[in-house]
Amino acid sequence: MSESLDESRAFLPFAPIPDRDSQPYWDALARGEFRLQRCSDCKALRWPARALCNRCRSFEQAWEEVDANARIVSWVRTHQVFAPALHDAVPYRVVQVALDAQSDLLLIGGWLSSRSPRAGEHVGVQIVEGLEGYHFPCWKPFDG
Amino acid sequence: MSIRDQVAIVGIGCTEFSKDSGVSTLTLGTQAILAALDDAGVPPADLDGLATFRVGDSVLPAILAQALGIRDLKYYVDQFGGGSVSHSIIGQAALAVHAGIADHVVCYRALNARSEFRMGGTGRPLVDAVETQYQAPYGYFTPPQQFAMAARAHMERYGTTEAQFGQIAVTQRAHAVDNERALMREPIGLDDYFASRWIVEPFRLLDCCLETDAAVAILVTSTERARDLKQTPILISGASWGSGRTLYSNEQPDLTRTAAADMAPRLFEMAHVSPSDIDVAQIYDCFSYSVLVQLEDYGFCKKGEGGPFIESGATALGGSLPTNTHGGFLSEGYVHGLNHIYEAVSQLRGAAGPRQVEGAEVALSTAQAGYVSGNTSALVLRRDA
Repeated sequence: MSESLDESRAFLPFAPIPDRDSQPYWDALARGEFRLQRCSDCKALRWPARALCNRCRSFEQAWEEVDANARIVSWVRTHQVFAPALHDAVPYRVVQVALDAQSDLLLIGGWLSSRSPRAGEHVGVQIVEGLEGYHFPCWKPFDG
Repeated sequence: MSIRDQVAIVGIGCTEFSKDSGVSTLTLGTQAILAALDDAGVPPADLDGLATFRVGDSVLPAILAQALGIRDLKYYVDQFGGGSVSHSIIGQAALAVHAGIADHVVCYRALNARSEFRMGGTGRPLVDAVETQYQAPYGYFTPPQQFAMAARAHMERYGTTEAQFGQIAVTQRAHAVDNERALMREPIGLDDYFASRWIVEPFRLLDCCLETDAAVAILVTSTERARDLKQTPILISGASWGSGRTLYSNEQPDLTRTAAADMAPRLFEMAHVSPSDIDVAQIYDCFSYSVLVQLEDYGFCKKGEGGPFIESGATALGGSLPTNTHGGFLSEGYVHGLNHIYEAVSQLRGAAGPRQVEGAEVALSTAQAGYVSGNTSALVLRRDA
């Protein structure tokens, strides 16, 4: 297996298939903005994108630009070529982070460093362009 | 009104476990179902219910009913889902039998999971789950990746080690040595574990289940009818299933705790048992870590102590909680939960041969603990007095 990929760069092998709830999320990222829905009633952020607040069951919401800096919850490093698109890309890391803006929201993302993440580490977001013009939040350590 | 002990497992059947069955899932299903009927001494003409679960990878129950010559199927379940719903179909069948909807229901899973349809390995991500769109673009879309993520969180939080994951694989392989159904019967040691290649860090090849071509069938009927059949009835003392949460839910941001932790108390309450009453356990082992976290979440040890519990030898044959006595999905094969029930029934009948847990009267069998799919399910089974 090739180890040629620079692991400090995000690996983004697929385009997403947005749905009617998530389209504004992807549209905002394409403009370089990380936006989530905030409940107009209880003020909780919603994730994944959806019409109903699972805290107060309100349908009222607005897409709001949110600080996407976060803390590392966990990470994996993939070696197995699970699909043809992964050829020549393994190994690569993927992280799961908890957003500073609401720590019970966990997102999957790319990792922009050649070193391993550390649990609980505070990391900064960077929005990276992938396939078909889609953009994706990825995270990187503040120490490079 | 509880259905505790009112419905029983009376027949079990399976096909050969292989990497390439060479036959259709329809054929596999008919073979396992006929074997279960024969095991019970129930004529095929008496079969009036079919229950299965699948993810677009197996034959429709209606097709199977036609193939078996069942002209008036009174009850069917065609549940969408993988292993997390595996034990719920037994519970649903028990409800149907107890309610008089059907008399003899066979629960089955038939799949060519190695030669035809590999979980997560079809070359592209599934598109019908809401969350996939946020994950697959990063090359994150397969079960080994999703469970490795939780395993890493457990290691970081509780100091769980790779060697503890490895001990699960080593212990289960030792169990499989005496299991003629098992795909992998060569003993292994921790050195073999550490020498096996990375799949997704922190998982190596030997942390992962064996994608398998096989079918397993489990026949249930009322306890009253069961007592007139060939085998010692194995009573369904507890059956629980429930909605868990995915790995990305704001309802449960702790990756090291599963939906089984919420469900287990009501399962044990229904069965009128506590974890210390369980003589033998078959715990869903799609990956090594899923055994460790469920030992904690079903209350066999404290949270965070699953690793030391396994290293103590508790889960080995001869230990306090012999677990995955057939070798589990890591060494026997992976029939998405139903081969755990098959082994639990064998143990409670006293028919597990060299793997027999002496005096086994109560067994726990569990489904995938609720990661990813957001569902879990489990059974407590008891040998009829």
